[in-house]
Amino acid sequence: MTETGWTTLQFRVNGVAREVEVDPEMPILWVLRDVLGLTGTKYGCGQALCGACSVHLDDHVIRSCCTPVRRAQGRSITTIEGLSEDGSHPLQRAWVELGVPQCGYCQAGQIMTAAALLRQRPQPTDEQIEQSLAGNLCRCGTYTRIRAAVKRAAGL
Amino acid sequence: MNGRIAALNEIRLGRRPFLAGLGVAAGGLAGGLSLEAGDAFAAAPGSPSFSPNVFVHIAPDGEVTLVCHRSEMGQGVRSSLPVLLADELGADMARVKISQADGDAVYGDQNTDGSSSIRGHYDSTRRIAATARSMLVNAAAKRWGVKPESLVARHHRVEHAASGRSMGFGELVALAQREPIPKPETVRLRPDVELEHVGKELPHLDAKAFVTGAAPFGADVRVPGMLVAVIARPPVVGGRVLGFDREAALAVRGVRHVVQLPEPKKPYVFQSWGGVAVIADDTWAALKGRAALAVRWEHGENASYDSEKYRDTLKASARAPGTALRQLGDAPAALATAARTVEAEYYLPHLPHAPMEPPVALAHVAGGRCEVWAATQNPQAARREAARALGMDEKDVTVHVTFLGGGFGRKSKADFVSEAVLLSREVNAPVRVQWTREDDVRHDYYHTVSQQRLVAGLGADGKLVAWHHRSAFPPIGSLFGSAPRPTAGDFQQGVLDLALDVPNVLSEACEAPAHVRIGWLRSVYNIFHSFASNCFIDEIAHARGADPRAVMLEVFGPARRIATPDELGVKELRNYGGSLTEYPVDVGRLRGVVERVTEISGWSQREKKGRSLGLAAHRSFHSYVAVVASVAQAPNGKLAVDEAWVAIDAGKILNPDRVRAQMEGSVIFGMSLAFHGAITMREGATVQSNFRDYRLVRIGDAPRAIHVHIEPSDELSGGAGEPGVPPVAPAIANAVFALTGKRVRDLPLNLAFDV
Amino acid sequence: MVGRFGGSLLGICLLLSGCSRPAGSGEARDPAAASAALPAVEAGELRPLGAFAGLSEGPDRAAALFTEASRVLLHPRCVNCHVEGDSPAQGMTFALHEPPVVRGVDDRGVVGMECAGCHQDRNLELSRVPGAPDWRLPPQAMAWVGRTPDALCEQLKDRGRNGGRTLAEVVDHVGHDAFVTWGWAPGADRQAAPGSQQEFAAILSSWADNGGACPPRTAASDD
Repeated sequence: MTETGWTTLQFRVNGVAREVEVDPEMPILWVLRDVLGLTGTKYGCGQALCGACSVHLDDHVIRSCCTPVRRAQGRSITTIEGLSEDGSHPLQRAWVELGVPQCGYCQAGQIMTAAALLRQRPQPTDEQIEQSLAGNLCRCGTYTRIRAAVKRAAGL
Repeated sequence: MNGRIAALNEIRLGRRPFLAGLGVAAGGLAGGLSLEAGDAFAAAPGSPSFSPNVFVHIAPDGEVTLVCHRSEMGQGVRSSLPVLLADELGADMARVKISQADGDAVYGDQNTDGSSSIRGHYDSTRRIAATARSMLVNAAAKRWGVKPESLVARHHRVEHAASGRSMGFGELVALAQREPIPKPETVRLRPDVELEHVGKELPHLDAKAFVTGAAPFGADVRVPGMLVAVIARPPVVGGRVLGFDREAALAVRGVRHVVQLPEPKKPYVFQSWGGVAVIADDTWAALKGRAALAVRWEHGENASYDSEKYRDTLKASARAPGTALRQLGDAPAALATAARTVEAEYYLPHLPHAPMEPPVALAHVAGGRCEVWAATQNPQAARREAARALGMDEKDVTVHVTFLGGGFGRKSKADFVSEAVLLSREVNAPVRVQWTREDDVRHDYYHTVSQQRLVAGLGADGKLVAWHHRSAFPPIGSLFGSAPRPTAGDFQQGVLDLALDVPNVLSEACEAPAHVRIGWLRSVYNIFHSFASNCFIDEIAHARGADPRAVMLEVFGPARRIATPDELGVKELRNYGGSLTEYPVDVGRLRGVVERVTEISGWSQREKKGRSLGLAAHRSFHSYVAVVASVAQAPNGKLAVDEAWVAIDAGKILNPDRVRAQMEGSVIFGMSLAFHGAITMREGATVQSNFRDYRLVRIGDAPRAIHVHIEPSDELSGGAGEPGVPPVAPAIANAVFALTGKRVRDLPLNLAFDV
Repeated sequence: MVGRFGGSLLGICLLLSGCSRPAGSGEARDPAAASAALPAVEAGELRPLGAFAGLSEGPDRAAALFTEASRVLLHPRCVNCHVEGDSPAQGMTFALHEPPVVRGVDDRGVVGMECAGCHQDRNLELSRVPGAPDWRLPPQAMAWVGRTPDALCEQLKDRGRNGGRTLAEVVDHVGHDAFVTWGWAPGADRQAAPGSQQEFAAILSSWADNGGACPPRTAASDD
């Protein structure tokens, strides 16, 4: 296996400018967790199958476990820690009000995906919610509450 | 109190320094969790708190720290037991911080397993709180020169109604410290009506920490100098390393060490699996390093294990006589003369746990001590295994418990802790062992594979005269070296305690050797025993052209409390750690949930509404649960569960919303195992690897509504984490039959249907 | 796993085999191909141009060449995405893409499930995720799963459905397009399309040179 040369990359994370020297193929997930110490984004599968690693790259939801950090050059990443100052995003509030989380491990990914959905579709239909969140697994089975919380956050 | 539950009351009470734990606040930590090396062996905080026992600590400023000694994996234990503690104590939850206990026998049982946190700790928790409360009250009584009985502790204060005097808990700290600690048996518990919060709608205390990313899970703990290890494990249980390319792995930038782990010796218990570890500065480097290893394996004795072929072995075993563990009357004779018989065989495959958080543990072995941070359900077992693996004394090992991203029984096994401590010592640095999803799917302690055979004899009137059940499955005991045949302890789950108003019963345990590591998965053997008994009752009903609900109630029999093993036809019943007198097989409660769930689902109207409903009910962990599933078929043939109803009688519960959540989650969990869940083995190795080939239910598959009814009850608490699972898959299978006319006796359903 | 695209599933699987089939195996035959007796070929290979030398230049040879090319076009690496509906397939048995994804308005998925949210500009080995620049579904006009070679041929020549391309442009496209290239370097343990991109392009180029005639109606690929 050939070793690609490390490189220096600059990008913003939660509004803060960052510079890292890493393997450009290192997935953003490990840059966030291991290099930058932001552990809110989780590892669940490493193959874009579970969505636990979901973050925003500019306005897009990406599975950070698969997205090499070179794609972040000059761009802006938002993680769960940066979604709001203090848990005040409508989705975070709705999640707490409806007691959505059980073990909590998948929920950062669920919320980040839902946040992108609501930004683009402030009043999503059930079908749109299910299509957009289809990539986010929850082993504890909180789906019915997730649906309800997305709708509550959307004021539906 | 008898048996295991009595032992839980033996909490050592005494003055202990505040044990260094993660101290996760009820409001959650801001930002990530990072421990400096100094915190690792920190002493008690400077300010002298009132700590009458290891569970309750009150600071002079009034802040109350309550220790939760059970692992939080989504069942909401941190939002339940501490609330009971606070209610009994009289503390204001707004001024309560919840701290997670380390693994230490001083806390009593910490094996968060068997749905036992509430039912096993209800009494002891109240007594612990009452002890602290009585000391606060006695201190205030002395201070005011009044009788303790004239004082009330509530809302974080001790009050003397007659004079209007009161003191806050914090103010009483110095005085309370001087009070003698009363014996637990002598303290008075409050009347239940004074418990202000438990049983009502309660918040999920850690929800905010979860939704802000602040809650620390196993891989979120970081210590200076930490390295990350990813391990290449033998594809076949019992396999060994023949060779590997160390240099190729070391050539990856960031890789520091390549270490071969010792081969485990039978009985495996929780030993590390063996294999080769790549240890690096970060996870990505470790993953790349492992990919470069090119390990060559000798697969060993289990290399010929083929789960498909093993089905034939199991089938043959269940068709031959086994060890009789339950006998009433003479079932074989009754069957021979029955007016008609119904028979069926049921097969359930191996299942993995697949928690969203794969196993992970961080260990630091240095200076003759070992410190571990792990997402573990059983921190004392982890401590024991770490000590054993290192040849150390347990007193030199500390195990801190993080949040668990799901457990389901996987994280009671301490193998991943064993790996971490061995590697840390080997490389003389803190090491986090990170399991990948492939590791988790391929190297699990699988839920065991099972084959069952049921034969029922019916009289001329259609009523059951005989019930003959054979069950063949490799038991969990095989992990610990015991014989390859289910025991009475295994059969207690859904065979020996099955309510049967049938005069002739025979239940036999049939031989089945294990070729994989077998472990306990959420509700354990109840999964397949409930599947078989509930599907079989449905089959009997349809054979008679009768309503499955009516037949089920007839089979269970009239309301009665079965409180002796004799009545069941067994020698003894382990009964989930409780005596039969205290926790009988209460057929009235079983009937109750069946009646309730069929009422709320509109069962009697099911034909009219064009729905296909399926019913199942099961007793486990001292709780009673009945499920109705509605299955529909899309125009393209795809089956879906579009609605579900659950009725649970779990006795006295603390946090209704968490119980409700457990039932909702159990429906999804049960759907996954019914529709998709199967682990298959070929040439000794697991075929599946990730969520691509081991599928789980997704949000689009979830029912549009799951209705949960919690039966109000003052009975002794039963479990809630597991009892929701066993009735789900059979309810679905029964609904599928009602919808399609096709009877599925083998799981998963995706082999026969588009799901 | 029950297949999701039913219909001509069997036909497609037979199409892809490329191996000699005994008489009476049931599928329709191309009389021209049968009479030309093309040599047998391994499933993973394409017949070299020389194999078609026995056919007369022009429509006969063109038809046979296109039928050969259709062994690539109708291989799962291609048809998994060249679907009419909203969801691509994956694997070798037309299983639905997991996790479930939908096309979206610009063939690039929907919010939260955009193709490029997981798929990168190249294959990833450890994550197994296949990749090529701007990974996305082809437009519905370019759906051809379940088509027989003759219908596929008509479709590829139809400027209304092939992105407005002339025959020469079609040939150039298949020779150089990054997605087409991906079909032979799909990464992980995925089976590549038969032959190579160069051989495929040469076959289609020769097809175009021979007039671009289409195989007769309902021809199966081969025996």
